[in-house]
Amino acid sequence: MKRLNRRQGMVLLLIGAAVLLAAVTVAGILLEPRAMQTDFSQTNRMPCPEYPFGTDWMGRDMLARTLAGLSLSIRIGLLTAAVSALIALALGIASATLGRKVDAAVSWCIDLVMGIPHILLVMLISIACGRGFTGVVAGVALSHWTGLARVIRGEVIQLRQAPYILAAQKLGVSKGRIVRNHLLPHLLPQFLTGLILLFPHAILHEASVTFLGFGLPSEQPAIGVILSESMQYLTTGRWWLALFPGLMLILAVMLFAVSGERLRRLLDPASVHE
Amino acid sequence: MADFARKGKWWGALLLCAAMAVSALTGCSGGADAQNAQEQSAAQTDTVVVAMGPTSEPEAGFDPAFGWGAGEHVHEPLIQSTLTVTNTDLTIGYDLATDYSVSEDGLTWTVTIRDDAYFTDGEQLTAENVAFTYNTVKQTSSVNDFTMLDRAEATDDTTVVFHMTRPFSIWPYTMAVVGIVPEHAYDSATYGIHPVGSGRYMLEQWDRGQQVILTANPNYYGEQPKMQRVIILFMEEDAAFLAAQAGQVDVAYTSATYSGETVEGYSLAAYDSVDNRGINLPAVPAGTDREGRAVGNDFTADVRVRRAINIGIDRQEMIDHVLNGYGTPAYSICDQLPWYNEASEVEYDPEAAAALLDEAGWTLGEDGVRMKDGVRAELNLLYSNGDSVRQALAADLANQLGELGIACTIEGVGWDTAYDRALSEPLLWGWGAHTPMELYNIYHTIGETSSAQYSPYSNPVVDAYMDEALASADLEQSYELWRKAQWDGTTGVTQDGDIPWVWLVNVSHLYWVRDGLQIAEQKIHPHGHGWSIVNNVDQWSWS
Repeated sequence: MKRLNRRQGMVLLLIGAAVLLAAVTVAGILLEPRAMQTDFSQTNRMPCPEYPFGTDWMGRDMLARTLAGLSLSIRIGLLTAAVSALIALALGIASATLGRKVDAAVSWCIDLVMGIPHILLVMLISIACGRGFTGVVAGVALSHWTGLARVIRGEVIQLRQAPYILAAQKLGVSKGRIVRNHLLPHLLPQFLTGLILLFPHAILHEASVTFLGFGLPSEQPAIGVILSESMQYLTTGRWWLALFPGLMLILAVMLFAVSGERLRRLLDPASVHE
Repeated sequence: MADFARKGKWWGALLLCAAMAVSALTGCSGGADAQNAQEQSAAQTDTVVVAMGPTSEPEAGFDPAFGWGAGEHVHEPLIQSTLTVTNTDLTIGYDLATDYSVSEDGLTWTVTIRDDAYFTDGEQLTAENVAFTYNTVKQTSSVNDFTMLDRAEATDDTTVVFHMTRPFSIWPYTMAVVGIVPEHAYDSATYGIHPVGSGRYMLEQWDRGQQVILTANPNYYGEQPKMQRVIILFMEEDAAFLAAQAGQVDVAYTSATYSGETVEGYSLAAYDSVDNRGINLPAVPAGTDREGRAVGNDFTADVRVRRAINIGIDRQEMIDHVLNGYGTPAYSICDQLPWYNEASEVEYDPEAAAALLDEAGWTLGEDGVRMKDGVRAELNLLYSNGDSVRQALAADLANQLGELGIACTIEGVGWDTAYDRALSEPLLWGWGAHTPMELYNIYHTIGETSSAQYSPYSNPVVDAYMDEALASADLEQSYELWRKAQWDGTTGVTQDGDIPWVWLVNVSHLYWVRDGLQIAEQKIHPHGHGWSIVNNVDQWSWS
């Protein structure tokens, strides 16, 4: 068998991670009714073949709950990361191309949002938007764009001085066309990497704001809800309630982080030929 | 580069979290150890350490005007004396009062008080102080309704007269929760922190967020407290459990979650309560009120549906499932209290429930859910977010109603929206107080809305009985009227009546009690798992 080179290996790994995450997402959606179902004759079961992750105090299957929770987290993550990344892209480009005043305004906004502790901001926006699903999505989406916006702004400022862009400007190409044809293709690797690396942040913040009780309502199968519930039962020795969902959350976050890193290496001109 | 920096930040944050967690843990245990050492010396003699939940700590201090003893969670104020007390059977006894009477029209209450009560600063407690207290709480009380009181007046040193704006026969129950404060030492800004009273105990120390230390009042006019020192610690449920395991407390509150555990040297004590849980069933068809809120529910507007729900749920199963057996079935808001009407009790009868639903036109569909004119029988049960007992009760109720053919979803809501939403959807409530006024609050219509406050319902006959009960000149007679308000033989709020609320369970209050500690007989606990346990801490003893 022909040995794969590192690039092919990376592509395979990336695909593997993506398939796994997609599988969890789909499985979670399918398992959601089961995750909400209570069975008071099967409460507080230790992990066993029938219930690999055990059951909680209302007899809910923790495996179904964990998968449904992860799935919900990934979907929220996708939505919020996409929204955040688009905001970042738009503001980053605007800031770098529309002159000093816009730049100052956007930079001020970035500093303002960055100046407030993340979790506090997520909580505030979530409460203001009426908690629940919308609250969490709005909270996470509106607070995570700053880092990426900064990176894109810096990149654009750098690109603006590139000879081919200066030449295009001298040839009278319109601003919009320069952005479309010359800026965006160069920004894509940065953007995609940034987008994927926003996932773990978004997921963890969703989990933490829900854990603190400012997010999703407690009957929802969300990782934050599961973890905060399990805290009550740790002292009575029900370790499985926290352990498995916690591990799965870390696993999902790590998968995203690794995928983002791999993608960057594949797309980044500096490492593309490794 | 950017993501490297981000990674670094993550690790830093993780490390910081770990460090904080460790320091918090050691910080706690260090404090507890020191305390423990101090307590061990005195333990087993005349000191008792009680762990309560963090919400039991009176936020505004020990001022009766701002909720100490009164309000939502009623208990004896300990530091202050009250005019009357509630006995173990919830009838009225005397504390400061030696006698009381009410005028024929119910508008004047005359109370004579004992002349041997002194505040802990040495001043005598006179009728002046009583009048001052009541006039003050009328002005400032943030937790109780005193609109029925016009003014209080001291006619001599030992007689106080209450002039009422309307007859209020259950005034003695209000007198049982208002602690008497000294006029000469009362400043509403500081009294909560430095209370001076004439009760069994004095406040020795209050470390906000941690503990309250009470010492016996040596000049108490009644029997000297057996427990000279009472230390109340405020901690979360899991911390209280661990504190009991570590032997650091003598009494620790706990819940059904922990009831399966054993703690060496401790036994689990369960006290009956009227700390009930129940759901409201909006008794009018769906619509909107003047403020634009959704009011009413087409499904529960049919009395047969409400009756079916009341007899179609197995309360004992709910107690076994959710409360681990520590509870009693609830049939009214006031089970076992002197004004309770036994007609509220119903038998679990799923067949009869199904028949009622059939009769109402809700017939079983193919998917096991009842239908009527193409509409599915559905209910969305609300519960307060984060309360695991109410969530489990809601879930169990949803399962049981599912068996009846009513498809239920449950939804956690915050109290900011719960009151409004309960006007159109069933909400899982917790009630239970030592006063018949609770019946009034739940079932009596208010103001111009001609609907009860928490869930749309009105019955003029029920209203009339309660109005009559309040206007009654005799407390004993008023009990009978309160009973009639629940069921008078033809109408009421029970199964055969309108049944606008379905009561599920009374949650027993559970405590870990150190072996050897004799806890005096408890009166049936009201809503709120807090200070009620120490109502009679002065009579506790070590054997």
